[in-house]
Amino acid sequence: MRQGPFVLTFLVGAILIAIFFIPHYRAQQVQTQLLDWANIVYAFALALGSISLLILHATKVRAGGSQAKYSLVTVAALSVITIAGVVQGVEEGTLVNRVYNAVNAPLASTMFALLAFFIASAAFRAFRARNTEATLLLATALVMMFGRVSIGEFVWSGFPPLTEWLLDVPNLAAKRGVAIGVGLGAVATALKIILGIDRSYMGKA
Amino acid sequence: MDEALDVRWFDPSRLNLLIGLTLFILFLLINLRRALRADGGLYIRTLPALQALDEAIGRATEMGRPVLYLPGLGDMSEVGTLAAVTISSRVARRVADMGCGLLVPCYDPVVAVLIDSATREAYTQAGRIDSYRSGTVQYVAAAQFAYVAAVTGLMLRDRPAANVYMGSWYAESLFLAETGNETGAIQIAGCDQVTQLPFFVCSCDYTLLGEELYAASAYLGREPVQLATIAAQDWAKILAAAVVVAAVIATFFGFTDIDKLLKTS
Repeated sequence: MRQGPFVLTFLVGAILIAIFFIPHYRAQQVQTQLLDWANIVYAFALALGSISLLILHATKVRAGGSQAKYSLVTVAALSVITIAGVVQGVEEGTLVNRVYNAVNAPLASTMFALLAFFIASAAFRAFRARNTEATLLLATALVMMFGRVSIGEFVWSGFPPLTEWLLDVPNLAAKRGVAIGVGLGAVATALKIILGIDRSYMGKA
Repeated sequence: MDEALDVRWFDPSRLNLLIGLTLFILFLLINLRRALRADGGLYIRTLPALQALDEAIGRATEMGRPVLYLPGLGDMSEVGTLAAVTISSRVARRVADMGCGLLVPCYDPVVAVLIDSATREAYTQAGRIDSYRSGTVQYVAAAQFAYVAAVTGLMLRDRPAANVYMGSWYAESLFLAETGNETGAIQIAGCDQVTQLPFFVCSCDYTLLGEELYAASAYLGREPVQLATIAAQDWAKILAAAVVVAAVIATFFGFTDIDKLLKTS
């Protein structure tokens, strides 16, 4: 029984790799079927996760304490939206749709807007010229900033082409180097799991 | 209708990929044999980010604060997430051994279920299943900024002593890493997204770059067969570099059709 998940992982992994090279419509139908099954598994996992979340926060509400109010909001929001979604659906004009557009979307936009301040604080720390590498980073960042704003061209006309060169040559070379490594690493990781070499995802050492 | 159906049993435009995959499996088999025969195991260079992991968990134990492990925003179809799940098991084992708390808020429900199962098993293997608390691994929200709000709130309230970010990350990387930095936690990140790496490098104490994320589980486990996969990866990289150089030379001498041999559909 303990070998079951590994056998299943190997079979599904091997079949999907084979299907990648087989364009036959029957093989593609098998792939579509497997992907549909993955969606069903996801739906069950989502239900399981939501129930677990509800139980955790309900327990916190019952226990009381200074953070219970946050848990109460979570329980209330999760319950109301789930019930409204099941009863009314999620189409235009329904409660879920209105809450999504009037609450969730503005909150997400607000959070995203905060990114500018986080970038500023991270850049301030990164660009302090503590050593040679940091100084090089600072100099490159200054060139990039001057090359990307209109005033930069007035200061020195060479800024925009220098910026382009930085992006197209050293930056792209580094990115491609990382991309090749990531690609090969991804293949190695997938093979490790399909062949059962790495079973730590099941808690096995 | 039937005429439109593809009845080929092999896609010739993917022959180069099949050859590449076959070579990779061959490298893997050769290195597995080498690893099993080598007395001291295969050499693997030191990764400071993973060396610091024990230090970070030890610090959390001394401070009586939890370790926060974040497996990224990817789902199980992303290899970065697979790596994050395998690393979570190693981290959970060390946390269980040292006896400090662990918090794993997840974005994807399937990832949450898998990490929960792996973490329970790791605690069991450490003989500390009694220390495992329900809610250690928790599905939070499958919405990017709702997840960010929940995790940053957790960071500010519970003040974890160590934050470990592994997996696939997007715009939320800097939010989380900067908030973690403000709380004074030791931060270790691993990311396979080139666009997010600079953010982690700026805000974290240690960062695993690109493919190092995939090597982390093998590095922490130190099993010979796991290290063999890293050696096979290195051989494949040497081959890839040789092919790139050969392609450049061939193009220089006018054999421009070489790109057709390397392209795939």
